[in-house]
Amino acid sequence: MSASVEICNVSKLFGNGVRALDKVSLTVAAGEVVCIVGPSGSGKSTLLRTVNRLETVTDGDVLIDGESIHTASKQLNALRQKAGMVFQQFNLFPHLSVIDNITLAPLKVCAEPVETVRQRAQQLLDRVGLGDRGDSYPAQLSGGQQQRVAIARALAMQPEVMLFDEPTSALDPEMVGGVLDVMKALASDGMTMLVVTHEMGFARAVADRVVFMESGRIEQIAQPEAFFEPANGSRLDTFLGQVLR
Amino acid sequence: MKSRWFWHGVYGFILLALAVSIYAASRTVDYTWRWDRVPDYIVAYEDADLRTTLTGIVEITDGRVQIIGTQDAAASESFADLDEILVEDGDYVFDGDVIGSRSGWRIGPLAWGLVVTLQLSILALLFSVPIGLLAGLGRVSTNPAARNLAATYVEIIRGTPLLVQIFIFYFFVGTVLSLSRMTAGVAALAVFTGAYIAEIVRAGIESIPKGQMEAARSLGMSYGQAMRHVILPQAMRRTLPPMAGQLINLIKDSSLVSVIAITDLTKAGREVVNSTFSPFEIWFTVAGMYLVLTASLSLVIRRFELRLARADG
Repeated sequence: MSASVEICNVSKLFGNGVRALDKVSLTVAAGEVVCIVGPSGSGKSTLLRTVNRLETVTDGDVLIDGESIHTASKQLNALRQKAGMVFQQFNLFPHLSVIDNITLAPLKVCAEPVETVRQRAQQLLDRVGLGDRGDSYPAQLSGGQQQRVAIARALAMQPEVMLFDEPTSALDPEMVGGVLDVMKALASDGMTMLVVTHEMGFARAVADRVVFMESGRIEQIAQPEAFFEPANGSRLDTFLGQVLR
Repeated sequence: MKSRWFWHGVYGFILLALAVSIYAASRTVDYTWRWDRVPDYIVAYEDADLRTTLTGIVEITDGRVQIIGTQDAAASESFADLDEILVEDGDYVFDGDVIGSRSGWRIGPLAWGLVVTLQLSILALLFSVPIGLLAGLGRVSTNPAARNLAATYVEIIRGTPLLVQIFIFYFFVGTVLSLSRMTAGVAALAVFTGAYIAEIVRAGIESIPKGQMEAARSLGMSYGQAMRHVILPQAMRRTLPPMAGQLINLIKDSSLVSVIAITDLTKAGREVVNSTFSPFEIWFTVAGMYLVLTASLSLVIRRFELRLARADG
């Protein structure tokens, strides 16, 4: 069901000469939840986006379940199905109803029978607490509800890894809890998760390991207890001091 | 409320003043307006002569005229429902002789011109939309060949006058591929309009947030699937208003094909002017007929837009 992710020595040089990622390596075991934190511009979103090749790499590779993402260009679409992605801005398809948002990819990409897909979509909607909103359009939902639909949409492809790119950053504070609850449930179901986030509470409660990135490099990897332990005046401490203030 | 009616009144007054000044201007050039002539060139009730295509002997039975061929006895031709018969039983007639006449409603040259203009516009439209869609997709493609080809096409077409393109299509492409006038005209219009539609399509696609494509791709959809199911449906809705403007332009631009002797509404107008010497009335009428076409198209598209807006939910 869930798969491992190996990020091997990934570097990314943008066209303007900015080194967004500098030889980053990170191994995430199957079923593990890893949160990535760091100041903006530290490359954490870029790193996440290299995992399903929304961002190409200059050097290095990413393996999902042992399969290379950045060399096997032919099966790219099949490989991408293994990694579901949830975006900061939800990116729901505004012209489709909630249920159609969820069923579109399984129907078009996997050519699964309509009934199976609809049933699964309904189950997923129930799971994210929106079982009665299938016929609504994204614009009729609150931000938190849209993000939960986006999670259901990603899960409909039955991914083995879930990537979250600041999933609660665009939400009103009172909407954050619902989304985090869905993510917690997903984590306890054993899904491999990579989460770029500013929600330190979530990282502390749910993550198996927390990664601190700065200037395109991983500065520190630790289990949450150790990670949030105040220590020695490092850059991590400065950062945590700012976000936890 | 009161002041609104006042400004509506001002609008009406200005229109009236314009009409009066046009009339006054025409008086100064000693022009006799003959509007009564115009309807005949749109539809007319008139007699039309019927001619035989055979050489033979006339037989009339119960008002029905039959010509029995003399050179080829098996050949015969018959005319029924004639309002006036100009031959008698047993007459010997030659190919091209008038047998009689029949009166009825005839479609005048201006109405024919309107039909030809409609035909040209609809055909050109049917071809220009796929051409434009293809070129528009090429413009946003990451493939350099597709992107550069599309850009070159758009630049060349938008950078040269339509009149010159029509001449090239008729005299060069038409000659090389032996196209009829109509085909050359439709092709020139379709290729011309396609370039503008390509830019509209490109703008529409680029107006869709990048996240839509990323979300679709992250779900495992191919570029084509994402375009077809996610990007284009949204882009099309946004391109409808500029597309409508372009289609109205197409109807108007179709008047230029009259230079390669296609008898569209404009050419029909010119021919009617030559035979009536009433240029003022005819050109105003032609303008009015174009306006009817474009206004009804605008109306249809506005309806369509409203329905889409409602479906947006």
